Amino acid sequence: MKKPDGKVVLLGDMNVGKTSLLHRYMERRFQDTVSTVGGAFYLKQWGPYNISIWDTAGREQFHGLGSMYCRGAAAVILTYDVNSLQSLVELEDRFLALTDSASADCIFAIVGNKVDLSDDCASPPDEHRPEKAAAGCSSKVRKQVRVEDAIALYKKILKYKMLDEKDVPAAEKMCFETSAKTGYKVDYLFETVFDMVVPIIVRQKAEGPPQTVDITDYKPAKRTKSGCCA
Amino acid sequence: MLMGDKNHINIECIECCGKNLYIGTNDCFIYHFMLDEKVSTSGKVTFAATKQLHKYLGFKKPVNELKAASALTRLLVLCDNTITLVNMMNLEPVPTGARIKGAVTFTLNENPVSGDPFCVEVCIISVKRRTIQMFMVFEDRVQIVKEVVTPEQPCAVAVDGYYLCLALTTQYIILNYNTGISQDLFPYCSEEKRPIVKRIGRQEFLLAGPGGLGMFATVDGISQRAPVHWSENVIGAALCFPYVVALDEEFITVHSMLDQQQKQTLPFKEGHILQDFEGKVIVATNKGVYILVPLPLEKQIQDLLASHRVEEALVLAKGARRNIPKEKFQVMYKRILQQAGFIQFAQLQFLEAKELFRSGQLDVRELISLYPFLLPTSSSFIRSHPPLHEYADLNQLTQGDQEKMIKCKRFLMSYLNEVRSTEVANGYKEDIDTALLKLYAEANHESLLDLLVSENFCLLTDSAAWLEKHKKYFALGLLYHYNGQDAAALQLWVQIVDGDIEDSTRSDLYEYVVDFLTFCSDRDLVWKYSEWVLQKNEEVGVQIFTKRPSEEQEKNINPDDIISCLNKYPKARIKYLEHLVLERKIEKEKYHTHLAALYLEAILQLKSGTTDNCVETVELLLKLRSLLQKSDLYRIHFILDKIRGTDLHMESAILYGKLEEHEKALHILVHELKDFGAAEEYCVWNSENRDLQYRRRLFHMLLSVYLRADTSDCALVMAAVDLLNNHAAEFDAALVLQLVPDSWSVQLLSPFLSGAVRQSIHTKRMTQVALGLAQAENLIYKYEKVKHKGTPILLSDKKVCQVCQNPFCEPAFVRYPNGGMVHTHCAASRHLNSSVTPHSSRSSSET
Repeated sequence: MKKPDGKVVLLGDMNVGKTSLLHRYMERRFQDTVSTVGGAFYLKQWGPYNISIWDTAGREQFHGLGSMYCRGAAAVILTYDVNSLQSLVELEDRFLALTDSASADCIFAIVGNKVDLSDDCASPPDEHRPEKAAAGCSSKVRKQVRVEDAIALYKKILKYKMLDEKDVPAAEKMCFETSAKTGYKVDYLFETVFDMVVPIIVRQKAEGPPQTVDITDYKPAKRTKSGCCA
Repeated sequence: MLMGDKNHINIECIECCGKNLYIGTNDCFIYHFMLDEKVSTSGKVTFAATKQLHKYLGFKKPVNELKAASALTRLLVLCDNTITLVNMMNLEPVPTGARIKGAVTFTLNENPVSGDPFCVEVCIISVKRRTIQMFMVFEDRVQIVKEVVTPEQPCAVAVDGYYLCLALTTQYIILNYNTGISQDLFPYCSEEKRPIVKRIGRQEFLLAGPGGLGMFATVDGISQRAPVHWSENVIGAALCFPYVVALDEEFITVHSMLDQQQKQTLPFKEGHILQDFEGKVIVATNKGVYILVPLPLEKQIQDLLASHRVEEALVLAKGARRNIPKEKFQVMYKRILQQAGFIQFAQLQFLEAKELFRSGQLDVRELISLYPFLLPTSSSFIRSHPPLHEYADLNQLTQGDQEKMIKCKRFLMSYLNEVRSTEVANGYKEDIDTALLKLYAEANHESLLDLLVSENFCLLTDSAAWLEKHKKYFALGLLYHYNGQDAAALQLWVQIVDGDIEDSTRSDLYEYVVDFLTFCSDRDLVWKYSEWVLQKNEEVGVQIFTKRPSEEQEKNINPDDIISCLNKYPKARIKYLEHLVLERKIEKEKYHTHLAALYLEAILQLKSGTTDNCVETVELLLKLRSLLQKSDLYRIHFILDKIRGTDLHMESAILYGKLEEHEKALHILVHELKDFGAAEEYCVWNSENRDLQYRRRLFHMLLSVYLRADTSDCALVMAAVDLLNNHAAEFDAALVLQLVPDSWSVQLLSPFLSGAVRQSIHTKRMTQVALGLAQAENLIYKYEKVKHKGTPILLSDKKVCQVCQNPFCEPAFVRYPNGGMVHTHCAASRHLNSSVTPHSSRSSSET
């Protein structure tokens, strides 16, 4: 098995479309998925590097596993459903803490999925013409989460991580709105993230894996010990 | 399995080490069996167990765990919270009575950190709360190494090197007992379900996770594989690479670690132990022990391939790499790739198939042989055995679907075209190229010709028959040509041009044949087909002689033969002679005269003809004139004889000019042709490269011709005046004035006269300048001479030679320009020996 050089983890509440996003990107199609059990991962060749992308289970039951999946991650993609404010709230309440185990220089992306379901004309924040909006896009629901909300969350994350805004990619750059169903901006999302992950991989390789303990280092110590006993 | 029939006796634990199977029971007995493995002819593996011994440990407690340490021939027995060491063979306790007390459960370190082969590392969960202890167990003693306190009560443990993977009450952790650093994995409620902690390889563990997940975790606390999905009530897990086997109350399930998919489910009730021992997976109920035997990997892969599960088969094969010796693996893997390729191929997944064939380094003939008739009859190819696929041929594969058939053929075309120049083709290029040729011919593909004109290995007989069958006669000709059979090729092509056989590949086949003959080095062939070619088209056909590469021409074919051959074809003959005379510039009188005569003949013929073909005549006339003027080689009198009595005045003028009979020539030009411009030109080109006198003579001649006319033809007079006025420089004015009639006015000749006067004055002045310069030069020389005569030189016996420093005894001496005087013999030796020079120069500087 090829050892991945870097890890990207998708986090988010159940049913926001993490698996579908990944599926759209890797398999180039959209299909109905069942609720993810535990987790799954793909390997993506990006330039000279192998990047593993972990799809996690959003269900509460598997919540405990998230921390392990995030361990050493170079990037975390926090995913919500633009039509569910709750899914954005959950990111802060439940999922943010899981990223504590991620790499120190981990980058964060916030992704609002399922934009295909909401009507574009409702996206202006002022709602002076609710009837017209409703009439114009009858089959579609109104978007509940605005990009501004995601940007606000991004800034909260930086505060939580005690990161300076100047040291990390700008919030506007790291908040995406996608549709796994139509493929809208899916490639853009992953490719932007991968491009940002590569420098992290390079840095990690240069510094040596921070969390890996090489047991060969311990062998000499052991030998001297037994030498003492003899 | 030979246990007591008593209902209350249950199997509590098992251990298997080599052929030894140990069973511990709840009534404190250990049973020892020998396992005999038998492989039946069908490949099925069966085990026969023979009971060796049984031993009662003397407690009323169950035997909790058994672990063999074969290097020490010891069996570690956990019973009543104590681990005792007994001999593996006779089950007697070691005489020293070495034991570990206070153990709830224990495990062996399969990746020991001590280098000692006669020592096993044992890790126990102690009866003391939240305590793990590490021991080194030797043949007859034990030694505690470390005691670690854990944050919660541990309930299961696995060890790899210094790493403990622990199931605590509420979570799993990794703990390095050497450094004490711990790493949380994930929460888990051990009270709800029994945790599973299983080392599955170097630095990697398998854990029972929430929701029936089998989670993989490395010692770094990272998951490198996606989890497998077990049932909620999983009891035990074992590893049988590349599979994870799990046991629950009703089933044994098999998941692949490679793709996490569930591969197999076996119904199995009442199982309560599932463990793997050196590759054997053993499952036990209270009363029975069962050994699960995996099918050999190759068989598994073949089964997957048989059910067209290509992807899974490849994943499995790749995953098995480290479990199979390298050479064997490579052979096997290649074969699997090839088989997978054929499966994809049969599903018309050509891109995937191609990639698989390529990476599997398929013998291309395997693929070619699927297509009927493509392999040459002479090919020694035999399909590999066992076969790589189940198809007899393409007809069977496509079930007669023509569209599929065409797609398959198109694929083979592109594939063969790609591989034919790679090393895959080495050794059977003939088979590949012949097959490709057949495909191209059949599909009427344009690359057929490219194949035949570039380097190829098409087999002649096979390909020829095929091309003939598909009426690709032009291509067949190319094939013959490639195989050095130009005669056969030409015969075919000529037949096509003549319409005897049909092949519309080239509409310009005639030109192609001409071209071919032009570059054909076989003289006999050229002669053979020259007649045919010329009959078709003289002017194009003659190219076979004229455009021939020149070194070929000189070597092979005598021009005279060609000319005599061309006698029947006048146009061709002229072209050929033009080629000889004008292009190759052969300086032979014969050809030049012949060409001139032919031109003349053609012109006369055209002129005598009723239809006046002006353009052609003019063209020929220009050619003739140009030849007559430029060449000096033809027989002038011969041509002149021919030309006499015709109206080709210009030409006769040229000929007279060649004979230096300028007066005659000019006479013709002036009186016959009345072309004064031509007459002037005549003077100019006839005097080219001659001196001024010659030129003047010609112009004078022309002037006299103009003026001598008895008839006072106005035009001639005008011509004479113009000539004088326009070419004043070409005349000697004094002579002209003698010729000019007295009646002419000065005004008439004023341009000439002023030019002549100016010329005369110019000449005079130039002469004066030259005279003055010459005098000046003369004066300079005179001055030099006087200067050199200069002072007299006195030679007396007091003077000494500057070279030898001896006095002069004879009157003869040599004087250097700087005034130094030396003996004549000294001067001579000085010239001979230049080494004296510095001496002389020094002495001269002294003086």
